[in-house]
Amino acid sequence: MTFPLALAQSDNAFLANAARKGDRPAFGLLYSRFARMVHGILLARVPRSEVDDLVQDVFLLALRRLDTLRDPCAFGPWLAMIARNRATDYHRRSRETTELSEDCAAQDPRPAEALAVLSTIQKLPEAYRETLVLRLVEGMSGPEIAERTGLTPASVRVNLHRGMKLLREKLEGREAS
Amino acid sequence: MSDDYLWDGSGEPDPEVERLERLLATLRSDRPAPELPENLGLRKRSVLFRHSIQLAVAAAAVVLVIAGWFLLRRERPSWEVVSLEGTPRIGSESISASGRLAVGQWLETDSSSRARISIGIIGEVHVDPNTRIRLLKAGADDHRLALARGKMHAAIWAPPRLFSVETPSAVAVDLGCTYTLEVDKAGISFLHVTSGWVAFETEGRESFVPAGALCETRPGIGAGTPYREDASEAFRSALTRLDFEERSADGRLVALDAVLAQAEKEDAFTLWHLLSRVRAGERSRVFDRLQVLVPAPPGVTREGVARLDRQMLDRWWDELGLEDTTWWRLWKGPAPNAK
Repeated sequence: MTFPLALAQSDNAFLANAARKGDRPAFGLLYSRFARMVHGILLARVPRSEVDDLVQDVFLLALRRLDTLRDPCAFGPWLAMIARNRATDYHRRSRETTELSEDCAAQDPRPAEALAVLSTIQKLPEAYRETLVLRLVEGMSGPEIAERTGLTPASVRVNLHRGMKLLREKLEGREAS
Repeated sequence: MSDDYLWDGSGEPDPEVERLERLLATLRSDRPAPELPENLGLRKRSVLFRHSIQLAVAAAAVVLVIAGWFLLRRERPSWEVVSLEGTPRIGSESISASGRLAVGQWLETDSSSRARISIGIIGEVHVDPNTRIRLLKAGADDHRLALARGKMHAAIWAPPRLFSVETPSAVAVDLGCTYTLEVDKAGISFLHVTSGWVAFETEGRESFVPAGALCETRPGIGAGTPYREDASEAFRSALTRLDFEERSADGRLVALDAVLAQAEKEDAFTLWHLLSRVRAGERSRVFDRLQVLVPAPPGVTREGVARLDRQMLDRWWDELGLEDTTWWRLWKGPAPNAK
């Protein structure tokens, strides 16, 4: 199995600086580079049916706030933080408005088993579920997750190892029952 | 099987990981980049300079003031604080929506206010009512708060040891987790970890507190021994007496024997902590009970544990069914040799 090579932080810095000055193609490149990360972070936290719209929200929000990015080299971690905050806001607002429909999963055309596994991952501790979704759903490698999110490779590796161990146990328990 | 394939796709493929990859890839998104609205609210440069020398002078003055303000801010890093309820105060100023907590400043909530602190890009802290908290450091490699009283809930997604909270009797060091920390009027701290790990540290004494466990610290004594949240009341009570109250040899032995008698297999991590906390003459009692609950692995001897051989203690910990010791040694450096 091969993964796309991680692009250099300096490239992100260059693109972020260009986007900050209004260069929309540069922002488009950043989008293609980070969309999977943002999608994964959100998918680990909010219902799947809401994720695509929230991904777009996060990028538009980031574009509006680019002038608050102090260190362009930290674009990935900064964007990841916006995505996590957006997921938190989503839950806060959904509590204030209405409960989620239980029919969402039934209407989803994706394989039922995939949705069931995702549901199991979403019940894991936060640090594990985010890393696992980025690895198993978005197809990012451990080094790539570390490079994009700003976590250390050691931390990502530990989270992957521990998260996968927990996931195996949960899935085995589900099959046994 | 190694986890190389899980890590970077190298090594022997793990069939289960491969199966999950294929299955879950169906959940990826293929939606293209959003259409960008014309007006994004991006800041534009002022054109006032073109029209008036007076305005130019005024604008220059404004720029100088703002530059000075930024310089001051750079010298004094700050974190964003959002009011979640009521009007928390930063220093002497009340905040109705949001504000900045600078290094050295206090954030205080009254009985009807709550707040959220953004810890740079690494996490956030929710501050409950009747809490007083201070920002001590906001560096890239050291994010530090001091909790004088009240309750806070931390969710940190940074690498371990980047975030810590000082209390009147110990320092809670984040190892990648979510937890609640409370300090009462007497300065006693209570730590409750809900995911990941937290290390509670005082001079020369550490407690590694896993998810689902609590730990108490007291001024002048330091961190107590961590215990699981559903431990029996008798077990907790005896542990409190042993950690903080009993000073006489006889009183300590009574408390220790009560702890050991009440201990179940799930309490093995508590007993493991006790091995290095109890007095030398008490250690063999703990050894014997822990040996019954979780037999020591080969090579771990009574004599080695009696002299607190770090490697033997680590190996016994690895038998407890929690994370192995490499989990925290990773952040703390290699284990020292025999003591």
